[in-house]
Amino acid sequence: MFNRDQKEFDIKEAETIIGPSVKVKGNFHGTGNIIIEGTVEGSVKTDKYLLVGEKAEISASIEAGEAKVAGIVTGNITVKGYLEIAATANISGDVNAHEISIEKGGVVNGKLTIGTMEKAKKEIAEN
Amino acid sequence: MYIYIYDSFVNHKKYEKVLARIETRITDLGLNGKIVRIGIMTSVHDVVENELRKGANTIIAVGNNGIFSQALNSIAKLTNVGQNVTLGLIPIDREKNEIANLLGIEPEERACDILSARRIQTLDLGKAGNNYFLTQAQITTDSTKLEIDENYTIETREPGEIFILNLPTLDLGIDKDISNAEDSKLELLIRTAKTKKIIPTKKGGINHSYLNFKSVNIINQKHHLILDKHLNVDTPALVTIAKEKINLIVGKGRGF
Repeated sequence: MFNRDQKEFDIKEAETIIGPSVKVKGNFHGTGNIIIEGTVEGSVKTDKYLLVGEKAEISASIEAGEAKVAGIVTGNITVKGYLEIAATANISGDVNAHEISIEKGGVVNGKLTIGTMEKAKKEIAEN
Repeated sequence: MYIYIYDSFVNHKKYEKVLARIETRITDLGLNGKIVRIGIMTSVHDVVENELRKGANTIIAVGNNGIFSQALNSIAKLTNVGQNVTLGLIPIDREKNEIANLLGIEPEERACDILSARRIQTLDLGKAGNNYFLTQAQITTDSTKLEIDENYTIETREPGEIFILNLPTLDLGIDKDISNAEDSKLELLIRTAKTKKIIPTKKGGINHSYLNFKSVNIINQKHHLILDKHLNVDTPALVTIAKEKINLIVGKGRGF
């Protein structure tokens, strides 16, 4: 699992990988760690770690235990734990997470809500 | 009782000597049984069904991936006829014998010693429509649409291959930790020309897709789905893990 002290997520721990040549449409829900480098339209959900890579283009609502976003996301993001927004990220939507870091260059067009883990957990449970 | 089913291609004269050596070795090892040669008018399924009804419990396919796939399908479809049937393989030629390599079965008469050791492993099977497979189902990405678990669809934008993995053949270069035939699960792998390693290093980046699923409906109007490198199946085809399993004779050097 990824945490703030780790520099990179171990790719071998990913249960699901959506590569750059792939387009997914629909409700993409997993139970393990997910890496997305391709295109997703719909919704993405996991209790574990989600990595949205630099090549990824996501038009979907996102829910995850922890996440790093380095690609383009159009949609709301809800993260129970720590959300890392990389310099290459471009997010159009509301972001809700317990902890957030935004690297210089990272773009967020939307409402940022930080430190409301209970609210985020409740939202995930309700959905 | 052992039933040896010879694929039609081994009826060619050039295989006479190797078949004679195999039959001698079988006799030496006390593995004698009935030999059935498949010809134009003989169906593997009919042969297997007849022999299972007569009480056969071990079917040995003699040939390559093709006869193995046909025998495996017949046994899986006839579970109401034959209980606890075991399938073995004597590979002839090195070509088109990737399944033998995977199972650790040495070619030709050396396979007889592996049959004699009778190391049996019970493995999962995949099912595509009404057909079964042990290793993988594959189809080109060209014009292929995947509907997964009735929740989402996948389309691929680059030329490549789509694999549904149960027990992938060794030539795919897939780590056994990624896919095995004892977890009652299938995996989907999409690789393109840019894919170098299935487990990428940080340097190489990610150029493949990989995920678990319960069922995938494969749709392609132009191309067939290929099971176990042999059997062409029309689409749409719903692919799932089968409830039937297969007992296989495997070698020490198996790749799983």
